[in-house]
Amino acid sequence: MDATQSLRYFGPELVLTAAIMAVLALDLGLTARGIERSRWPGIVALAGAAAAIGSAVRLLRVPAREWLFGRMLVFDGFSVYFKVLLGLALLAAVWMSLGSREVRGQPNEGEYFTLLLSSGLAMLLMAAAANLLMAYLSLEFASLTSYVLTGFLRHNRRSAEAALKYLIYGGVASGAMIYGMSWIFGLTGSMDYAGIAAGIAQLDDPSRGAFFLALVLVLAGFGYKVASVPFHMWAPDVYTGAPIPVTAFLAVGSKAAGFAMLLRFFHFGVGAAGPVGAVTRVPLLQLGTLLCAATMTLGNLAALSQQNMKRLLAYSSIAHAGYALLGFVVFADAGVQAVLFYLTVYYIMNLGAFWVVMLIANATGHEDLPSYRGLAWRGGALPALALAIFLFSLAGLPPLAGFVGKFYVFGAGVERGLIALVVVGVLNSVVSLYYYVRVVKTMFLDEPRAEDAPVHFALNDLAAVGLLSAATLVLGIRFDWLLARVETARRIFAG
Amino acid sequence: MPVTTAVFYLLAAVTLGSACGVAFGTNILYSAFALMGTFLGVAAIFVLLGADFLGVIQLFVYVGGILVLTLFAVMLTHRIDVQVSNRAVGRLPGLVVVGVVATWMIRVARAARWTEGQPGPPAATTAGIGDAFLGTYVLPFEVASVVLLAALIGAIVVSRKEVKG
Repeated sequence: MDATQSLRYFGPELVLTAAIMAVLALDLGLTARGIERSRWPGIVALAGAAAAIGSAVRLLRVPAREWLFGRMLVFDGFSVYFKVLLGLALLAAVWMSLGSREVRGQPNEGEYFTLLLSSGLAMLLMAAAANLLMAYLSLEFASLTSYVLTGFLRHNRRSAEAALKYLIYGGVASGAMIYGMSWIFGLTGSMDYAGIAAGIAQLDDPSRGAFFLALVLVLAGFGYKVASVPFHMWAPDVYTGAPIPVTAFLAVGSKAAGFAMLLRFFHFGVGAAGPVGAVTRVPLLQLGTLLCAATMTLGNLAALSQQNMKRLLAYSSIAHAGYALLGFVVFADAGVQAVLFYLTVYYIMNLGAFWVVMLIANATGHEDLPSYRGLAWRGGALPALALAIFLFSLAGLPPLAGFVGKFYVFGAGVERGLIALVVVGVLNSVVSLYYYVRVVKTMFLDEPRAEDAPVHFALNDLAAVGLLSAATLVLGIRFDWLLARVETARRIFAG
Repeated sequence: MPVTTAVFYLLAAVTLGSACGVAFGTNILYSAFALMGTFLGVAAIFVLLGADFLGVIQLFVYVGGILVLTLFAVMLTHRIDVQVSNRAVGRLPGLVVVGVVATWMIRVARAARWTEGQPGPPAATTAGIGDAFLGTYVLPFEVASVVLLAALIGAIVVSRKEVKG
């Protein structure tokens, strides 16, 4: 489909681009009139994100499956599903930022929202990219904006250090990835995923080694985006150093966009599951299994001893990338479906957890575990309760949404015969229970000491948290509608 | 060995040798100068492959712009003391890893059958690139401009002046 026709299916991206320009122009106008610390850039950004979601939701009903802009992007249920999810992540990040002490009223707030929206735009493009060029460009776009957002906090060494570490790791990973992509282009002579799939079908046996090497290199880039072992090293520092809304956005948005890219590339580009696809030709399954097991185990073991809540959630999010990778390793539609479901549930519970951490940081100025002591008994009963719900859901306890998510991922693994990997996953869930419960115990069972001041939370700050905890509870029991949605989104357009 | 191949290996050696100079140089100023060899080598490879326009742009942007900026940045920063907080594992293990990976790469690259284009007579590529930017590659072209805008804003945010009060 040519460029003008494609614009009909490009609504969310266009809306976001318009919002970026609007925020930028508005900020410029406000600065020129000497108005500082205005609320408006954030509100316009919020409206932009909401309009993008609206546009994406409208596309959910369009059954077309098309190439867009020549052969750069594709339009299918899979990409629209991710666009809605990423739009929601962006909306939540903007909303969080409006209530965050680290962002609201700080200098350069207008630029912050411009960059946050740009990052969202980049992730929407990542979800639809079906061409090595667009994949690389959108991934770099997302990374570039994330580096700056991570280092946004002024006079904060941790924030600056995190941004620099993120930049260096990102540079190495994307360098490896684009080198791998150049090999894939050299082997197949094509940059769009359909052409790559066709080229791989004709790959002769001696070329297998080079193909496998190229896949390993490409996996480095994708693995970095989803924070899977051994490309996870940036995550703890970046999650700890960045402003909490950015951390939450990276944890749910960046990860989801990375998974969208990973799934599309391997299920469509290299046709992993097909009869001539990658799994049957190179040891991709073994490599994926290894990465998945290592990611789950390392994330959970490292989380055990963490004292800083953001750092604890960072390791926990590495572990969750591992669980989602299990769905990827299945290399079949059932696995894609499980990953989509898992990422949606993960979005709700992880976002909720970060939100409560932000509210507590706003109220107490601390993010470390000792400052949570007896929180429930000094005015923080509601946030403590919500955090408990999110953490139990992250641990995968029934009847919460996290349980259903894990159930489907592990179920897809068992169906595929990956019993050992599923056992590792279940054992890991048990390990993870320890550090999640430790936080809950600190909040509810530990007595507050004399130096722990009472905290106060405004009820309207808690609205979003209430919404997310309600969603966690409801999705644990009534998940059939989401399952039906995911079922239509799981089939990736294949040329 | 055909002349083109020989020239390619020569250019590759220059590029890689300078890159090693950048990585292992102890003085950051020498590293910056060694970077010039890398950029020039890449530009020459572009020209060798018949991408005349890209070669010239590489010269303009990287050698003429980025390198000079880097040199300015290095010289204008009066004190660069690097505190190593994350010590590297060491050069020997690194060398072993690089050796193993390089051997693997060369082995599989020699075994593989690569798709090859038909080399034609050298022709000017500028018009074709312009057409492609507004035709097949219009989306990446436009997205790249948004990326540049975001990078610009990001650079301003990162380098903002400390406001007192």
